[in-house]
Amino acid sequence: MCMLCPEGSQMDLREKLNILGDAAKYDVSCSSSGSSRCAPKGGLGSGCSAGICHTWAADGRCISLLKVLFSNACKYDCAYCVNRRSNDVPRATFTHKELVDLTLEFYRRNYIEGLFLSSAVIGSPDYTMELLIKVARELRVNHRFGGYIHLKAIPGASSRLLFEAGLYADRSSVNVEIPSDSQLQYLAPEKNYESIYRPMNFFAERKLEYNSEKSRHLPRFLPAGQSTQMIVGASNESDLQILKLSSGFYKQQQMKRVYFSGYVPVNSDKRLPVITTKPPLLREHRLYQADWLMRFYKFQYDEILDDTNPNLDLDLDPKAMWALRHPECFPVDLQTADYEMILRVPGIGVKSAQLIVNARRFSQIRLETLKKIGVVLKRAKYFIYHSDTPASLRRLYPEMLRPLLLPRPKSAQLDLFDSAPMLLPA
Amino acid sequence: MLSILYDSTFEGFLSVVFEVYRQHLDVGDIVPDRPYDSVSSKTADLFMQPFRIETSEESAKRLTRAIVNKAGEDVFNLLQTAFRSEEPLVEMNILAYLRKLFAAESPDYAKNPASEEMLPLLKTAQAVRREAGNMLGMVRFDKTQDGMYISEIEPKYNIVDMIVGHFRGRFPNGRWAIVDVLRGYGAYYDGKHTQMVEVPNPAELSKKIAAEASSDEFTKMWKSYYDSMAIKERLNPALLKRCLPVRYWKHLPERRQNLSDVTIGSGRGEARGDLGFGSSSLPSVVAQRNARFAALGKS
Repeated sequence: MCMLCPEGSQMDLREKLNILGDAAKYDVSCSSSGSSRCAPKGGLGSGCSAGICHTWAADGRCISLLKVLFSNACKYDCAYCVNRRSNDVPRATFTHKELVDLTLEFYRRNYIEGLFLSSAVIGSPDYTMELLIKVARELRVNHRFGGYIHLKAIPGASSRLLFEAGLYADRSSVNVEIPSDSQLQYLAPEKNYESIYRPMNFFAERKLEYNSEKSRHLPRFLPAGQSTQMIVGASNESDLQILKLSSGFYKQQQMKRVYFSGYVPVNSDKRLPVITTKPPLLREHRLYQADWLMRFYKFQYDEILDDTNPNLDLDLDPKAMWALRHPECFPVDLQTADYEMILRVPGIGVKSAQLIVNARRFSQIRLETLKKIGVVLKRAKYFIYHSDTPASLRRLYPEMLRPLLLPRPKSAQLDLFDSAPMLLPA
Repeated sequence: MLSILYDSTFEGFLSVVFEVYRQHLDVGDIVPDRPYDSVSSKTADLFMQPFRIETSEESAKRLTRAIVNKAGEDVFNLLQTAFRSEEPLVEMNILAYLRKLFAAESPDYAKNPASEEMLPLLKTAQAVRREAGNMLGMVRFDKTQDGMYISEIEPKYNIVDMIVGHFRGRFPNGRWAIVDVLRGYGAYYDGKHTQMVEVPNPAELSKKIAAEASSDEFTKMWKSYYDSMAIKERLNPALLKRCLPVRYWKHLPERRQNLSDVTIGSGRGEARGDLGFGSSSLPSVVAQRNARFAALGKS
């Protein structure tokens, strides 16, 4: 009988897959991008650098990788985690062969783009890491698998193992989970920032080293870089703290992505929000918008938020919020403004900005040109200046603009059979 | 005015344009022969004279060279991609663009994205490329008993040969086929080469595949894995449908059984019930209303 899975060895594969897929679903990352690879000789599988989504779950999140835990029999007891030691949930552990077969069979049917393998910590971090690496090694070496592999780095694993993981995996990630060290140690007594930063820094340094040597023969090291994830709403950090931390990850650890996950209450624990709390989906959305501003719109975190406004406005997107705080920059003249400035106009995205910059080389930009090339003017019209703008609208008054930008309350049909009397406004 | 008929290939269309220029034809419409397309092939315009132009490889080649010289390779690719959309007006739009292109004096015209003729083509080509890109993930292979992997797709645009290269790179050692059941043709890869094959009776093929694939254990596991991945607190049917339009569900094993919920709902895919989880909230609301209505009647 298997030592790790006392009741699990007779469990059938389908049941295991359900348990271990279910246990992995709170990990947000699903991307299969950033790594391009031809199928190895005699093998199968390729990497597409843009990434490919294969399907979308009923909650609207894309599924591109077979995202599973190797095992959910965790020895840690983190308050926010569904797999913590003190929870009474069914436990299961894959065998290597099962997981390799599953990955290959799913891949051949084009269900998935590759494997996202994580695990609860069993035995020691090193032991767990070795289990994960063995799956990746079997796929890459024995089956000549060229698809995408995302391996979790287990905090506390030794450098030798992390290095080997980097050779097989396309991307690796260590989740910060809680955006401040003190809260993390409070909620997850066995973890701290030092143990999380160590593998991150190790990967970032090795990758730099590898990139500095431009040799074709060098095996590739984590071609798709690394990512991390933070839970939003389980502890009391401000949005400023979260953005500052993620900005640091982008700069220092060369992270490709920082994911945010609105806390879904899975455990009742007095250190956490009550179990009936709704996941903060809107806050999560605003954080992603701010994250996009940092990654694609050349914003700095301290432009988006500062000490006087430490939290994002839930009613307005962060770009509009920034624009209203800087009326001196607007309206922007689309005919002459820099690309960077056009990018900062609320409502104009990267694609529209590029279209504008392209099209203005050929002709004067007018309102109907913008409409024609598909620039959405709903919000942008208040912030731009073009030859059709009347002279009276060439200044921006934030206090007048704000109510125009807010979403209008939806009109609703009244219920004919509602027994409660309707209250009419006096 | 002429309503020009041609064989629905891109070469055929280029030959049409070539002849239009050579014979100074007065074109009212360009109509392809597409048996599966009910709009373009069955409605003839009463006021136009039908005129058939046969495909000529030679003239297609000459026109290709002229377009590439005048506007560049990428514009030619754009036209070809837009043509794949098979939309009713796409031929006339391309013709309008080509007329302007060959008449234009300024070299700027060819690539101006905001020009009246280029814009619709750009939009159409974008939609075609998007579908081809999405289809890379949405092809689902079923394993047949002799070890071949076969997939049926039903894309809106004619994109099979845009995606074949990707799968050849991905599965270079297996035998597989991707069949466009709507257009009745597909690509077959025998382990070395791909070839385009006619599929005269797609419905029969579908039945055969369904019979063989129903016992596939991995498909069942995929289905249950898919269901377990959704976080119940975050269900978002609108987002799901935006990302994964209902028209693709028919050929996705993980969503096929949800298809009936949607069509029963209220006509055009507007069902309100929760997608992906068994119990729908809609019937319970209706029942509640009925109960209240009955109570009103009694009092």
